[in-house]
Amino acid sequence: MVNPVLLIVVPLGLSFAIPLFSLISKRIEKYIPVAALVFNLVVSLLLIPKVLKQPINVFIGGYLPPFCINLVAGPVGILFSALIALIGLLVSIYALDYIREGAKQLYHILYLLLLTGATGVVLTGDIFNLFVFFEILCISSYALVAYFGDRAGIESAVKYLIQGAVGSSLMLIGIGLLYGLFGTLNMADIARNIDSVSSISVFVPLVLLITGLGVEAAIFPLNAWLPDAHSSAPSSISAILSGIAIKVGIYALARVIFTIFGASSLLQFMVFLGLLTLLVGEVSAFSQNNIKRLLAYSSIGQIGLIVFALGIGITYGVVGGLFQLISHALSKALLFLAVGYMIYRSGSMDISALEGMGKRMPLTSLAFTIGAFSLVGFPPFIGFPSKFLIIRAALSKEEVLFTVLIAFVLLGTVIEGAYFFRVIQVLYFRGGQTDIKREEAPVPALIPIFILMILIVVIGIYPKPVTNLLNSASSELLNRIEYIRGVLG
Amino acid sequence: MKRIISFVLLAIVALGIILSLLYIPFGMPKTKVGEHYIEKGKQETGAANIVTAVVVNYRGFDTLGEVTVLFISAIGLSAVLATRGKKIAKKIEPASAILYTGCRFLFPLILLFGAYIFIHGHLTPGGGFQGGAIIASAFLLIYLGCRGRRISEKRTKAVESLSGLVIVVVGLIGLAVGGRYFLSNFLPKGILFSLFSAGIIPIIYIAIGIKVGSELAFIIDRLMEESE
Amino acid sequence: MSFLNNYIYYIGALGLILIGLYIILVKRNLIKVIIGLSILDTGINLFLISIGYMSEGTAPIFEKGEAKLARMVDPVPQALVLTAIVIGVAVLALALSLAIRLYHHYGTLNLRKIREQRW
Repeated sequence: MVNPVLLIVVPLGLSFAIPLFSLISKRIEKYIPVAALVFNLVVSLLLIPKVLKQPINVFIGGYLPPFCINLVAGPVGILFSALIALIGLLVSIYALDYIREGAKQLYHILYLLLLTGATGVVLTGDIFNLFVFFEILCISSYALVAYFGDRAGIESAVKYLIQGAVGSSLMLIGIGLLYGLFGTLNMADIARNIDSVSSISVFVPLVLLITGLGVEAAIFPLNAWLPDAHSSAPSSISAILSGIAIKVGIYALARVIFTIFGASSLLQFMVFLGLLTLLVGEVSAFSQNNIKRLLAYSSIGQIGLIVFALGIGITYGVVGGLFQLISHALSKALLFLAVGYMIYRSGSMDISALEGMGKRMPLTSLAFTIGAFSLVGFPPFIGFPSKFLIIRAALSKEEVLFTVLIAFVLLGTVIEGAYFFRVIQVLYFRGGQTDIKREEAPVPALIPIFILMILIVVIGIYPKPVTNLLNSASSELLNRIEYIRGVLG
Repeated sequence: MKRIISFVLLAIVALGIILSLLYIPFGMPKTKVGEHYIEKGKQETGAANIVTAVVVNYRGFDTLGEVTVLFISAIGLSAVLATRGKKIAKKIEPASAILYTGCRFLFPLILLFGAYIFIHGHLTPGGGFQGGAIIASAFLLIYLGCRGRRISEKRTKAVESLSGLVIVVVGLIGLAVGGRYFLSNFLPKGILFSLFSAGIIPIIYIAIGIKVGSELAFIIDRLMEESE
Repeated sequence: MSFLNNYIYYIGALGLILIGLYIILVKRNLIKVIIGLSILDTGINLFLISIGYMSEGTAPIFEKGEAKLARMVDPVPQALVLTAIVIGVAVLALALSLAIRLYHHYGTLNLRKIREQRW
């Protein structure tokens, strides 16, 4: 049995070693992230059957919790780490050709460290360790957003950095208060003792943690950095940020709210916040002319939907939310990867510059269309079962409030469909030139696009294995007693 | 307008933190984790400095993450400052003889002091990060005093990567050999208060000291280069 | 007076945090905002250490030949602050390098003027 700590340590060690490898040969540096992520993906998939029976606890240093840092490799953790490894692997294959200029070695080191940080966040069981890995994730993303070095990139990176740093500082104050109140930093230990102090004193650390994590997770008032950052970054990094980084923020939020604090009184608030985020994101996306900003606002909308689903609070809701998370990760990554080469070929990020891409880059345009349809929720694609689960979960609560809220969710979906159709129309049905020659994206870009398309269609048609996995994942997230017993015995 | 909003926000934050602090009296013993470390730390890890024992052994994973964060910052800074234009060589006024000689004289002494701090991390206050910062300040002295001297970027990067790898490899050896836990203390604990005690703690701290020193010197070097 | 004696650390740390947040929210020059970030980090580190203090406690380091166990302060917040200081330095270094690049592009560090990304 492979120790889950290797999921974090092997990419970390390899990223430390990249400068040494490049002393030997400059050509192999771009293959090292690919190798590390293949390892992660294989190990995560091998561990899935084992963690479904019982979560694996890894004690770092050999002492017992709460006197050590522990990793909790449960269904949620391994599922997320498999998702991170999958998308990371596909985007790293894409980047083999996409990253041609600038300090390439540094890009690959930062990229691998970003994914290491993400994997660390989802696997850890200690709240200060969560903060440290979260910082690894955030700081790598600050540096990667500024990778191209142009005006827009640096400006977005500065704004992202300031907001992210303030968020992390607030989170650290919250962690300090938690330590002062409970005397321990282990998540299971805090969860066990949460009722021993008065609820008003616990409220403040909770709010601070939600605010700090919410900056990265991009929930409503805290997402001012997202449209700039996701649109000015290189497209491979936009795919990773939209597909992984904000999801990891949502995971951390869910872990804090559900497992540590068990705050069932917050669920109503989460539902409204999610809905607000959804509507703000979709309406803002509607009026965009820049394709990457449109996709960034669409990410905000989808995050709102995921938070809404998690806030419903019952198992079905969490399953729907997690499924929507996976579906958005795959679809948005596909969209950004497709758009990356379209922008490269046409030279501009305006939607009108994409005219005629349907003939010029047919496979890439097909990929964009599939990604867009999947995000809106059309049947044979993965977006359909995920949205269906969310709606069914909300309706099963049998309250008038939820029926009204679902109407708003459907409104958001309609707006989403409208703006995506507008882009698809530009892709296929405009452009009067008849002599456009085909210049498709290069092979390293087509492989991940193709694999993502297949995954979207296959899981959309046959979602059963994924929903089974998600059932155990959601029960781990909601069932605090089980979690505490699993760690502390 | 903006000031009013920010005052209101700050008042809310302050009120919240004060409200929570009322439940955390100052100076009271409050933790069981801390007491356990103080009581059992000497036997379990063999280090006399309990903070070092906590940083390297009990919470060693955090330290690994922290070393990674500093690495990311050095790499990110280098990526952002990667010069695209041509460098205009400015004429550097050479330092006076007293300054030059004085800095060169002090440089190895400061390095020695920094090395002393991180080698004795498990016995006296201090440790890898503190010693590394002192080493970087020695390099800063050279940059400020004897202008025009530079460190070789390739060698610094190699030293950084190598020390980072040492930490990860030591952890992995712990995984394979002693007790099958990552970063377990598998070397013999030795006699308390002697230099070669506390298992892997001195090794890790020496690696961290060298890594942090070279990273901070690298950051200073890049920023100095940018300013010329 | 004894109240002030006990809580002066909390008050000082909270004061630094509020000053840092105020600077970040209000000031327009990017360098001042970065300095505010640094003050915020310092305040938080002071806050964390003062949570771990035990009255009449000494540093948690054992000396040779010490017979009885003197009361020691909590070592865990000190380890946390060690990590937090380094993370703060890392963010600061990255922020300053971005400020240098921003100045190259725009020629000014006034955040009001650096607003190329509109709606």
